[in-house]
Amino acid sequence: MSFWSQTMEIARVDMSLERRTGDVTRIVVPFAVIALLVFPLALGVDLSGISRIGPAVFWALGVLFGMQVALRQTASDSPERRDLYALLGVDPAAKFTGRTISGAVLTLGFFAALLVAMVVLYSPRLPEGWLAPTLLSAMLVAIGLTELGTLAGEVTAGLRSRTSLASLIVAPLAIPLIIGGSQTLESVAREATILPWILLLLATDLALAVAGVGLARPLEEASR
Amino acid sequence: MTRVRVLFAMAGAAVAVGLWFAFTAPTDALQGEFSRIINIHVPSLWVAFLAFGVTALGSILWLIRKKPRWDRLASASAEIGVLFTAIGLFTGMVWGQAVWGRAWDWGDARLATTAVMFFVYLGYLALRRATPDQPARAQRSAVLGTIAFVQVPLVYFSVNLFRTLHQTQSIRPDGSTMPPEMLIAMLINVLTFTLLYVALMAARTEIAVVEEAAAPVASMAGEGISPPRLGEVEDV
Amino acid sequence: MAHETPPVAALATLNRTGVTLGNTRVLSDITFSVAPGEVVGVVGANGSGKTTLLRLIASLIAPDRGDGTVLGARLGTSEVFTIRRRIGLISHIPTTIPELTLEENLLHAVRLAGHETAKVADSLRAVGLEGSSDRKASDSSFGMKRRTEVARLLITKPSILLLDEAISGLDSDAHALIDALVDRTVGSGGAVIVVSHDPLQMEKASTVFGLAVGALTEMT
Repeated sequence: MSFWSQTMEIARVDMSLERRTGDVTRIVVPFAVIALLVFPLALGVDLSGISRIGPAVFWALGVLFGMQVALRQTASDSPERRDLYALLGVDPAAKFTGRTISGAVLTLGFFAALLVAMVVLYSPRLPEGWLAPTLLSAMLVAIGLTELGTLAGEVTAGLRSRTSLASLIVAPLAIPLIIGGSQTLESVAREATILPWILLLLATDLALAVAGVGLARPLEEASR
Repeated sequence: MTRVRVLFAMAGAAVAVGLWFAFTAPTDALQGEFSRIINIHVPSLWVAFLAFGVTALGSILWLIRKKPRWDRLASASAEIGVLFTAIGLFTGMVWGQAVWGRAWDWGDARLATTAVMFFVYLGYLALRRATPDQPARAQRSAVLGTIAFVQVPLVYFSVNLFRTLHQTQSIRPDGSTMPPEMLIAMLINVLTFTLLYVALMAARTEIAVVEEAAAPVASMAGEGISPPRLGEVEDV
Repeated sequence: MAHETPPVAALATLNRTGVTLGNTRVLSDITFSVAPGEVVGVVGANGSGKTTLLRLIASLIAPDRGDGTVLGARLGTSEVFTIRRRIGLISHIPTTIPELTLEENLLHAVRLAGHETAKVADSLRAVGLEGSSDRKASDSSFGMKRRTEVARLLITKPSILLLDEAISGLDSDAHALIDALVDRTVGSGGAVIVVSHDPLQMEKASTVFGLAVGALTEMT
């Protein structure tokens, strides 16, 4: 009971902080949309090429910028707030779970905005019945990416080079998420089963959840 | 220190033997002299995987036991692992360029995984460098070492699932595709490199002990501050 | 490892305890105990390790030599996780989330600690913040944030209250609030440790120690 009420309280406050600061809606989303614009400009205006690379660019940018959602300023606690949470008896695993819930919701919202922008800017040829599998894979990628980002954010808490260091840690480990996300859409286009990719994403999310919950306490004690 | 010297002497002798085998073994009919690269490439990657496995083991043991030796084991092994991953990747790319005409093969799950692993442990070493406080450094890198241990197999699995166009592994349970002399030379070099790894580990962990002992002598809180003497100082 | 059994009554004990942060040995040999109903003061110059001493007793940092207990839990072990919520700490910087209002800050802490949120409005009134409870912490003064902390501690009722320069910079009303919090804690069988550079802040302490070069000496 206490675990889940702490989890939901952390997630609830994270969401209201996002509503007030707009770290994701005002910074990460516009930055990622600019990146969408940069690709065609760098490649030259070959319309068929642009519509072909659309989904791939969406997944690459989605994962790279999605990391920044998990690493956003409002999701990193000051040393004083860490002390307070410890003395309030906050379970570090509940904090990890709450952060993952709020971060995954925000990342999914970010993916939705980026997807709309990609469809508008790239006019990709999307196969029939693409929406449901894409949403499912986006949800699983959002969860895994947030778990990874939250862990990396905690590992680098309080360090001077935190943002770049955490990105360096997340990016290579996020490969299964990029592959799982992009290949789900590929499989729909090839009329092949999406099951292996969904299972891959589920396995990744689950492995990271076990690691995050299991390692939350030792990490918390090291971050002071 | 004598232990390290003995280990290096043994490793040096083994390298000489390994080189002799590498240069006397027959070459592959198609690849020519380039096939000899396998005597460095495969042993390097074997040592890299062994080293990262030891890093994972050291990380997990540190989290359980909190003894400095496990942190030293994990960090020393990560450094050596990164070095040998770099050697393995480089020799692989040279071989790829010579034999296939391209240095990088996107269809090879092992190549991509090895590259990812290289960056994961570069991040591990960067995290250690960025964390000044020793207990926090040990704890945080142990957590990252454990996450990497969970995640790297998933990277391999995912890339493998992504595309498996590459030639099958050289050593298969049903026998070898390599001539036996080549295989023997390669296996001898695997042993040689393993011995080299052990010698480097012994040296690196001993250096770490010396480094920790030589850390700046703790200054005492409140030291280095004395009562102000404004009256004694003119012109200020 | 043999060590003396702490007196049953003591709420916190330190036995030849030392703490090193980075390359600085902050505390070297601290022996000290505090009993229920007691107010203990510690005076020391800037940088003498007062904050570290309080964070050690709050179980937020582990000793690297000697040992100690807080509310029966041995410092530096996992035993502290269960008793932490019975420790109250007012540090020299008030801890609030800047984007939340004072009331939201209080609600957040009270919910996380598992207390009833029904008391929040009353406790805000008790500290005189009923008129500014919807003000963002980032727009609030030092004194307002301090009063929010007092409101939180009125609800969580810690068994050990640790005050780190808690009165510095406060007006007389806020000062009286901190005094009342001390009285309540002591009155319900708890203990208070007051730390400051200023001997004048020790008025409520029955015993006062001086902290210098990592060790305590009794002053009164």
